[in-house]
Amino acid sequence: MIRHLLTCSFSVALASLAAAQQDVTAYTNARVLAGGRPSMTNATIVVAGGKIVAIGTDVAVPEGAGVVDCTDKTITPGLIDASFVPGISDNDANEQSDEVTPHLRILDSLDPEDPTFRRARRDGVTTAHVMPGTQNVIGGLGCVIKTHGDDPDAMVVKQDASVRIVMGSEPSMRNRAPRGGRVESMYYRRPTTRMGVIWAVRRAFYDAQEAMQKTQGAPDQGAPAPGIEVLTRVLQGKLTAVTTARSEQDLRTALRIAGEFGYQTVIDEAQDAYMVADELAAQSAVVMLGAPSATSVSGGGSRDGAAPRSGTVRALADKGIKFVITTGTNTRRLPLIREAMFAARNGLGPQQALDAITIEPAKLLGVDDRIGSLAAGKDADFVIWSQDPLDPAAVAESVYIDGKSVSQIR
Amino acid sequence: MNLSLTRIAVVCVTTALPAICQDLVAVKAKTIHTISGPSVEDGVILLQNGRIKAIGKQSDVEIPWSAKVIDASDKVVMPTWVIAHSSGGMRGSNESMQNVPWLSVADAVDPGSTFFEGMRRNGVGTIHTMPGNNTLMGGNGMVLRPAGRTIEDMTVADNTGLKLSLLASNGSRLQKVREMRRAIADVREYLADYNRQKDEFEKEKAAGSIAEDKEWEKEIDRKKQAAVDLIEKKLKGWLYVPSFAELGEALRLSQELDLNFVLGNNLDEALPMLRRLKQPVVLTANLEYFETDPETREEEQFCSAKMLADAGVPFALSLGDGPSANPWWQLGTCVRNGVSRQQALESLTMIPAKMIGLEDQVGSLSEGKLGNLQILTGDPLDATTWVEMVVLEGELVYERSKDPRLQYLFEAAEEAAAPQESQKEEGK
Repeated sequence: MIRHLLTCSFSVALASLAAAQQDVTAYTNARVLAGGRPSMTNATIVVAGGKIVAIGTDVAVPEGAGVVDCTDKTITPGLIDASFVPGISDNDANEQSDEVTPHLRILDSLDPEDPTFRRARRDGVTTAHVMPGTQNVIGGLGCVIKTHGDDPDAMVVKQDASVRIVMGSEPSMRNRAPRGGRVESMYYRRPTTRMGVIWAVRRAFYDAQEAMQKTQGAPDQGAPAPGIEVLTRVLQGKLTAVTTARSEQDLRTALRIAGEFGYQTVIDEAQDAYMVADELAAQSAVVMLGAPSATSVSGGGSRDGAAPRSGTVRALADKGIKFVITTGTNTRRLPLIREAMFAARNGLGPQQALDAITIEPAKLLGVDDRIGSLAAGKDADFVIWSQDPLDPAAVAESVYIDGKSVSQIR
Repeated sequence: MNLSLTRIAVVCVTTALPAICQDLVAVKAKTIHTISGPSVEDGVILLQNGRIKAIGKQSDVEIPWSAKVIDASDKVVMPTWVIAHSSGGMRGSNESMQNVPWLSVADAVDPGSTFFEGMRRNGVGTIHTMPGNNTLMGGNGMVLRPAGRTIEDMTVADNTGLKLSLLASNGSRLQKVREMRRAIADVREYLADYNRQKDEFEKEKAAGSIAEDKEWEKEIDRKKQAAVDLIEKKLKGWLYVPSFAELGEALRLSQELDLNFVLGNNLDEALPMLRRLKQPVVLTANLEYFETDPETREEEQFCSAKMLADAGVPFALSLGDGPSANPWWQLGTCVRNGVSRQQALESLTMIPAKMIGLEDQVGSLSEGKLGNLQILTGDPLDATTWVEMVVLEGELVYERSKDPRLQYLFEAAEEAAAPQESQKEEGK
């Protein structure tokens, strides 16, 4: 309590200081769901210089500050989509020269003017974790990027946030030799089975292990290949591995490989997660649930032979397994907030549902010092909703990134 | 429209056997949304022989001792939803031939289809089933209730209207319009020829060249009957209008035929024409769409429900796949785009009921109407609300606690809630 008061008074001091710089705005009388903690009513958020300088129910509006009255509105942190598929064509998101390309950066394929970013902003998503496509065994480096900015460099929150590994049928899906094709043909270069996919992952990590031993033994031998260097960072626990695995079989394989090489992995699109809950808990794996709404009552939305169930989110929550809700690669995905809404419909508490698209993904991606919650010192990324955001009638009326309005409806 | 209310007729017959069929059901509710009038708090609805006998406050309506009581005192009760146009639950909704007005959906509906199960789960009680959109003159429709093992059980009304479509599936729009015009002209020619022959017969009979006792026997070709009824305005046409581009032609057709419109998307370009619509229209399930300005690349989102609301045209909503299969999602989408809550609710109840000519039977709760009720865990526009029970004509046809498919989808959560030692051991 005392610490809270101290923070507040400190922030107020900061706020009045910043007011002199003429870019101070106070958002008043709002219901605030700050992320990771219970809601506040009649709260005020003071924003200056692209940062939140004060937030609380006892915060005074600094002198000279612009005031936005948010009576009857709800403010949440800008939403974070931890598995966002931008409008990049499959050809541009999946490098075909090799099936293992850990060193490629999806950032190099990103267009800041991508209309999918605009739609994401419109729906309250201010930060996206973008990964390479799912057609390579090891696709490359994902980045955390804000969905708006004048300068692409300034949009990047974290450049090398993850490396994507893909289980299942996708990396081998298109790899069939044309009739009469030769085995050495370039069309026949990649694995054609799950066995082949897993072997490609193993071989890459064996190479990385070998490279680590070599550099430890004889540092003069020069740096290893760029892709291998990325995987050594995974093995050292310095880089997050995100393994896309949907069916129970692929989930078990993902956990087995991670255990074998001793790295932790996040499991992406884990439709069958409820089947391997104990194993996930044992390896403290974090789960990304892609488009849980696509699990229709008629049993649709299954991919890679998975059997998605509406009860999955609730099951993971009850088991204490950490998870985030994403839109992912599911073609039937909805705006992120609606995915959280469906999770709430399927039994998740409203705060948990909202945390799963704000503070939890921020923690998972290691960017919670800047985004994912509303607190003094954090980036002023937030959304003013017309009503409770989990209401199907809710509209993201105003969306702010770094204190700047990036989407206005009504 | 030729309504043969077979289902309702059955209910009427049962009233003749009061001793056996004096079915009294009382539903107690926290809130009753009547839709047509104000909501009732702490209310009760009394159903007798499948119809609403009384509705009011629990303090005002006496529950007879013989009534079966459904206690939903902590729940919301409202009329079941009415769907004005749907092609669900059929095994093949369009014949590959385009001009087949003599067909009927009765021969394609599969009562065991999961579609009807889904409708019950979502609180739908009345569905106007029509041939699909991939047709020219697609056949006759029926009003069904999503409960029963045979089409006869499910039938509320048949011969409800002829499906017409301007969807250009192969070929251009103009070609489709031409085909429609040709098809209508063919029927007119046929009818003119038929009437001319009949007139000649009567004339000859009057002139004495045909025997006195001989009567005109030739009937209208069965394959032409529905189309003849359409052009004689004895049968309503339900015209699918895929986009703004076909709306002009649709309006012209409506001057000579009795038409209901089923409107697709991209209506923003036809706003002035929308204002000319006089009767209610059906909107397809996808209510929101984006358009990109070809010059600026700026995207704009449109909502067809909001556009029609602004144009003053009443509309009925449809249900689709994915999230739009949920009535609360469709209503929420309307409200999110600025349509009033009441208008949204009416567009899944009273408006579609009116469009299918059953406004005195379904779509709102008042004395004398069919006892079609849904019992909800909360507000109908809330995402966390579930349909707890559905009562159709006084008969309980759905209970969430006995829905095997829902149980299957949620058992993962229930298993997790109960610690399972045996599974852990197996895992090792």
